Amino acid sequence: MSRIPVTILTGFLGAGKTTLLNRILTQQHGLKIAVIENEFGEVGIDHELVINADEELFEMNNGCICCTVRGDLIRILGNLMKRKDKFDHILIETTGLADPGPVVQTFFVDEQIKEKLYVNGVVTLVDAKHILQHIDENDEAAEQIAFADVLLLNKCDLVSEADLVSLENRIRDVNALAVIHRTTRADIDIAKVMDVGGFNLDRAMEVNPHFLESGHHHHHSHISSVGIEAPGDCDGKKLNDWLSKLVQEQGADIFRMKGVFAVKNQTDRVIFQGVHMLIDAANGGPWGDRPRKNSLVFIGRHLDREALNAGFRSCLA
Amino acid sequence: MKNIGTLRAADHILHLAWTPAGDSLAITPSTGDILVADATAGIIQKFPAHGMGNGASAWFHGDLATCGFDGKIRWAGQEWKPGRGMIERVKTSPDGTHLAAGQGRALHIFDKNGPTDFSLPQLPDAVADFVWNPAKANQVATVGAGGARMWRLGEKEPFARFDWGGASILVDWSHTGRWLATADQTASVHVYDFPRDYPLHIQGFESKVQALAFSADGTRLATGGSPVVTVWPCTGKKGPEGAKPIQVEGHDLDVCAVAFSPLTGQLATGDESGTLLVIAFETGQFRRKRSRLASGISALAWHPTLPLLAIGHVDGEVMLLSLA
Repeated sequence: MSRIPVTILTGFLGAGKTTLLNRILTQQHGLKIAVIENEFGEVGIDHELVINADEELFEMNNGCICCTVRGDLIRILGNLMKRKDKFDHILIETTGLADPGPVVQTFFVDEQIKEKLYVNGVVTLVDAKHILQHIDENDEAAEQIAFADVLLLNKCDLVSEADLVSLENRIRDVNALAVIHRTTRADIDIAKVMDVGGFNLDRAMEVNPHFLESGHHHHHSHISSVGIEAPGDCDGKKLNDWLSKLVQEQGADIFRMKGVFAVKNQTDRVIFQGVHMLIDAANGGPWGDRPRKNSLVFIGRHLDREALNAGFRSCLA
Repeated sequence: MKNIGTLRAADHILHLAWTPAGDSLAITPSTGDILVADATAGIIQKFPAHGMGNGASAWFHGDLATCGFDGKIRWAGQEWKPGRGMIERVKTSPDGTHLAAGQGRALHIFDKNGPTDFSLPQLPDAVADFVWNPAKANQVATVGAGGARMWRLGEKEPFARFDWGGASILVDWSHTGRWLATADQTASVHVYDFPRDYPLHIQGFESKVQALAFSADGTRLATGGSPVVTVWPCTGKKGPEGAKPIQVEGHDLDVCAVAFSPLTGQLATGDESGTLLVIAFETGQFRRKRSRLASGISALAWHPTLPLLAIGHVDGEVMLLSLA
């Protein structure tokens, strides 16, 4: 049975999430989409596809903040999966002040959810006019950018081209991996939001082939991205040991990790992703004609680029 | 076992509820009309579905109260929308005077005239489930993230609380009022002994416990989640603590529903594959009848006064089975 994609929609207060949701709910895209909404805003009331729920955070393992997940989502998604008439897509809108971590972590931790659903992408709306102020004043705003696979730089009509370029650079400092779309009134082809394609490091590199290169970023924020690329094969055991130790020691500060590895004696690509202390690997299919290489990206707080590079290179075969 | 009759609802059966007299059975599918059948599986009434899906229904003052993910409660021609969040279930107090509904961080309490001042609108955590105390009709317990809280109607602070940091998905209160049991988001159960003010954490389940129920006399607690049904003794000074439970095998897949007969004390359990076990307890042992039904079992409800079992299936079928 194929798993149902889930898009997580985040964005600081006033960024335009509700406007985007309304577009998704009213456009003729041919998809049956269920929306789980935590933001009790003024739109979407009584819409037949919208479920409102209070956030219900809990720690799967007592005391471990990295294992904080959303109980309400587990119950709602469990219910939706029981129904005969399945949805094509599920969209979860978080509150403006929410840390997206627990929502994403829910899909790593709960076995029944993992079996039937997957996170297709985290979409973050950013208010181009006010985001710099938000990043400086609120950790949540920076974390929402850090978690994004797709960033909608919204309200672009209120900002000059020069400022938009500067803003994009600032966002790239935080999250080098996300695809950025400029929008006004959240007007965008819905496919760019809903069809993110889950884990797609290849596509991120197509958009910005240099984003894994080190030394080109001028970090203004304590939240940043570190990209590592190395040709050849890595040693699977060494890699596993290093990643396990890394997330144990620094998992609280690592928001997201993504990687594609060429593991010695394995013919297929190994796709890796993680959220805080939770990591997951899957078969990414054969390398084909592509040269075997390793690509890894960390997005997080207080990342030590040199230490991460050295750590990974010690795993090379 | 004799099949008395079957009927079909639109979708996966979420919940089954007999009236106290046993003359009607409420059948709540996850989507589609909510049905009322008689004791021969004849449909006698239909109630409209709730938008985005139904929650578990309850009989209240002789009429069926329904709820759903649209945040609405319908009862006796009235409709209440106390807030915006989804409502997963409504439950009637043991004396029949009040109806409760959890909605986000609120526990709404209604009487036949509508919302009452007994409601608790701003609880610290969302209400994942709640249960009335069968022995004291003015007491209700809520569970969710953090643990369980026990409330007396009219009081705004809990009279008891059990905090343990995790989260619960289901709760049941023994008919004697002594025990409160929760099934948790992790593969564990918490059992609280009120007289001793003692919380017991039972771990070691193979998977998340998806169903639990106390026997009518309060001496047994059945839990189901994996293919093994575990029945805990709730007698003596310590109850399940340190006791060896009865473990019943015979299911093929995870158990989704468990129910004790109030008439015979038999335990019925159903799994995802459609295997039904009916377990009779004798001193120190048990006897088990096993049946393989056509589709996965999602809900079970014993008739209050007859040896009759209503079985709800994942495909929307409901079967009435006589065990006389």
